[in-house]
Amino acid sequence: MSALLRAELLKLRTTRTFLVLAGLAAGLSMILAGLGAGFEDDPTPARLAEIFNSNLSSIFVLILAIVGITGEWRHRTITSSLLAGPDRTRFLASKTLAYAAAGLVMAVVVSAGITVVGFAVLVIRDLPTPQLGDLLEIYARNACVTMLLGALGVGIGAVIRNQAFAIVAIFVAAFVVEPAIAALLPDAGRFAPLTVLPSALTDTPESQSGFDDEVLIAPGLAALAMLAWIGVWFAAGAALLHTRDVD
Amino acid sequence: MPAIDVDSISKRFGAVHAVSDLSFSVAAGRVTGFLGPNGAGKSTTLRMLLGLVHPDGGRAGFDGTAYGALAHPSAHVGAVLEEASFHPGRSGRNHLRVLAETGRHPASRVDEVLALVDLDGGAAGRRVKGYSLGMRQRLAIAAALLGDPEVLILDEPANGLDPPGIRWMRDLLRAQAAQGRAVLVSSHVLSEVAASVDDVVVIAAGRLRASGPLETVLGTADGPTTRVRAADRDALLAALSSAGIAVDPEPSGSFLARGTAPEAVGLAAAGHGVALTELVAVARSLEDAFFELTQATT
Repeated sequence: MSALLRAELLKLRTTRTFLVLAGLAAGLSMILAGLGAGFEDDPTPARLAEIFNSNLSSIFVLILAIVGITGEWRHRTITSSLLAGPDRTRFLASKTLAYAAAGLVMAVVVSAGITVVGFAVLVIRDLPTPQLGDLLEIYARNACVTMLLGALGVGIGAVIRNQAFAIVAIFVAAFVVEPAIAALLPDAGRFAPLTVLPSALTDTPESQSGFDDEVLIAPGLAALAMLAWIGVWFAAGAALLHTRDVD
Repeated sequence: MPAIDVDSISKRFGAVHAVSDLSFSVAAGRVTGFLGPNGAGKSTTLRMLLGLVHPDGGRAGFDGTAYGALAHPSAHVGAVLEEASFHPGRSGRNHLRVLAETGRHPASRVDEVLALVDLDGGAAGRRVKGYSLGMRQRLAIAAALLGDPEVLILDEPANGLDPPGIRWMRDLLRAQAAQGRAVLVSSHVLSEVAASVDDVVVIAAGRLRASGPLETVLGTADGPTTRVRAADRDALLAALSSAGIAVDPEPSGSFLARGTAPEAVGLAAAGHGVALTELVAVARSLEDAFFELTQATT
């Protein structure tokens, strides 16, 4: 298992996809943090938390994970992967762990970028900066979400093999389906894995997430619910991977 | 026990019977050609053998063990499949590093196999999307050799190789077999196969047509065949008969002496003062045998 995990991490390091998506996540997050700090006139602790919560790594790691697993089919590297390590469940498990780790790395990089930009703008404008403890809590929650979404993305991509369709599907789910369910059926919508549960886990305020506080469940429960979603998608992906012919 | 054993495997894709009740074996230390027209089921058979495609029935394995159940699969079997699989943005060396890590092979093997396929130097560090077809094929062969396997399976390995590359491939296959490895190679280049293999397995429409040593399949196992003709057919028949040489008449008026070399036929005729107008060795090519064996379905 450790050899498979090392191989998956090596795959991530030996193409440009990870660097490009991590760079985009960092760049866009830093712009958002810079704009937030630049236009902030009432830096209450809650407003400061919003500025430093501008972490977009979760959506990018989701795309990265889907590209990673569906790319195995697209480039037919699934053949050489399964010849070198024929246990399909272990293959999927190692990829899931690798993309969770990639999520952690991406979250740390983006958080560092946000910290530099946010602090720089606030100090230049002679405004107060957040407490280190508050920042670390925000970053830890974001890192948890990013790791979980990295793992979830592998499961989704294992089920939806077509790369373009899978990416479009998660955007539609995240920006159309889940918000609609959260608004119309809040009891079900609070367990939506791409947007509502991450907002609950990061304790993102309504002004930033768009979700009513009453929809968001406790962070610990949200983490458990996301793990359950990962389990469901992983099981479905593993079952399909076992039954599919690699032809 | 044969190094590769395929026992009554079958596979359907919808209404299409890709492979039907196919059985054959491959011995260690020999190069076996796996032949059949396009769509005969060669690639499907190889993928079933390697655990990539699930057979509907039968079993296939190595020393009696299915590929997925081997303790160290890529150290036992190296495979090059028809559609080489590479990430275009990854370098050749990194592609092999990933496979070495997955297959638990020493990292030092990467440079060894790159040198073996003449891809060392600058080419190994370039991204695969810039590789020619021949370079990709060499990289695929390098990947198959990573684990120094006892069995090599190659699906159309000469695709994309230039003439020196094809000769290199032939020498490589012979060298691997000479070291005691079992080599199973599918190809549509029959002349290339004829020059490389010890045994052949011929399939068509998913069914076995022939298998065994090349000479047996070509029908030359009993010795050479000679075509002979003379103006005086009766005198020729008498001369050959007295020398114990049996012949079959041909519609053109000549005779075929099976299992007899031209020298023996010529001496028998000369001994009786018969003037010959034709005396040639008849060679049945692999191509002839292939078309005869697969004609019923193509």
